[in-house]
Amino acid sequence: MSVVRKFTLSTLVVWGILVVGAVISLFPFFWMIVGTTLNPNDVLQGIVVPGKELPTNWQKAIGNYNLGLFFFNSLKIALLTVLFGVIVNSLAAFGFEKYKSKSRDQVFGILMLTLILPGIAVLIPTFRLFVFARMLNTHAAIILPSVMSVFIIFFMRQNFSMFPTEIIEAARVDGASEMSSFVRIVCPSMKASFASAAIYMFLGQWNSYLWPLMTILAEAKKTLPIAMATMTNAYTIEYGALMIIVCISVMPVLILFLTMQRQFVAGLLGSVK
Amino acid sequence: MNKRGPYYRYLNRFGWLCVAPAMVFFTCFMLYPILSSLYYVTRKWRGATDSFVGLGNFVRMANDRIFQQAVGHNFVYMAIQIPLMIFLALILAVILNQGIGRLRGVFRTVFFLPCVTSLVACAVLFKILLQTNGLLNNLLISGLILKEPISWLGTPFWANVAIILAMTWRWTGYNMVFFLVGLQNIDTEIYEAAEVDGATKRLQFFKITMPLLVPVILFSAVTSTSGTMQLFDEPNILTTQGGPANATMTASLYIYRQAFVINSDFGYATAMSYVVVLIAGVFAYAQMRLLGNKERKL
Repeated sequence: MSVVRKFTLSTLVVWGILVVGAVISLFPFFWMIVGTTLNPNDVLQGIVVPGKELPTNWQKAIGNYNLGLFFFNSLKIALLTVLFGVIVNSLAAFGFEKYKSKSRDQVFGILMLTLILPGIAVLIPTFRLFVFARMLNTHAAIILPSVMSVFIIFFMRQNFSMFPTEIIEAARVDGASEMSSFVRIVCPSMKASFASAAIYMFLGQWNSYLWPLMTILAEAKKTLPIAMATMTNAYTIEYGALMIIVCISVMPVLILFLTMQRQFVAGLLGSVK
Repeated sequence: MNKRGPYYRYLNRFGWLCVAPAMVFFTCFMLYPILSSLYYVTRKWRGATDSFVGLGNFVRMANDRIFQQAVGHNFVYMAIQIPLMIFLALILAVILNQGIGRLRGVFRTVFFLPCVTSLVACAVLFKILLQTNGLLNNLLISGLILKEPISWLGTPFWANVAIILAMTWRWTGYNMVFFLVGLQNIDTEIYEAAEVDGATKRLQFFKITMPLLVPVILFSAVTSTSGTMQLFDEPNILTTQGGPANATMTASLYIYRQAFVINSDFGYATAMSYVVVLIAGVFAYAQMRLLGNKERKL
């Protein structure tokens, strides 16, 4: 009898923790979505019944707060970073892994040393670099420093090491050039790794705040995170419109996560595999 | 293969060709900044001109109360938020690993979900939630937990609590996923052997599960420490530029403000970022020594 009671009590505690945890995790999302349909005061009060203000809030977000432009800026910057980043980093990882030489291994060692360096170490000198290059207030200033990622090179190299070198050698015998065996044989068989790397890079750039805040002053060049953060400093905050902007900033990542959960988590866990 | 033959040289050249674009980016945005920071750290800016001050920036730091307080706030978040988060993440991971049936995947997804919000979106959401006439106060008052609303973002103590709350909400699920993978990598045969030897579940947890999780916990602790030392988005947005009255000012935020808001002293800002990097390094080293030793003893 006592065994049964103990069992049910601990089960109750376990499920209690799970449910409370789930509610805390999910509530801000729910509140954020409902908030897009409410007037500012109702958002603040935490009304959780949908209202009728969605069109008004949407018009404010688009008209007064330039949501469309900021969304487009953020998307353009993130996609270009992913495009260049995936090419540059996977090519480097391939070179390091499949064409091993002593000097290249030493170069890789130097790269790895910077992996533990906190980003803040190079922030100010990199900013000065863009001042000299007269490239402040350009999207290139946001994209260029994020293209090369030592973590992604490391991650892709680990994945390339699982690709059998014999296949590349066989292609070589058949007369394929090195580049074409990379593009036509290696890449297509490693779609999942590329997806993980792309998701990781997209997230980093889509969400980045400090660096764009330093380099971008022109209103027309700003990104979603900067626009969101600036809105909260206004004297009267349009909470409904703000919730729409927060939603728009969260949705692409949420969709990526829900549709590609495996690659998403693999990208995050790549470093402990 | 002939290491001196023309074909080897061709392959070697191709190897360098692959690596070259990444090396160009690395040189411009990692190597050059690191090297040029050695120059900046000795300079002081007055307006648009700068002059040599040697170690003057570090002397200035030694007398800069706000900077010291800012680093102190980083330490407070480290000491409170990281253990709290790791503890919560461990509990959730252990529960999910015990096997709660088909719902495990659902709960794992749900707990991980806060991670899809950017730090900025998270800070904005919490800023609205924690307004004095906002949702959380209303909830606590109508639940009879509070009589008077708390000024979350207006009082130094509660502003720090707010930052810790936001960070914990955002990062617990992320760390939980690491722990869950760590737990799933433990060979079940170890538990079976312990069972045969008559070890209780509690003993198994503390003598098998925890020690085997040490490397993962260490990884979490080290990355969280580095992240916390660089904390910027939350104090800049959630508590509005490190407010109230610098109560949530962090090192990174102060560096940013010295270089871009209050004045443009890039030399002083560089010197302060050296200190942040050094502190993060010392902590990472200490954690590895501390937890690494425990691991070896077993």
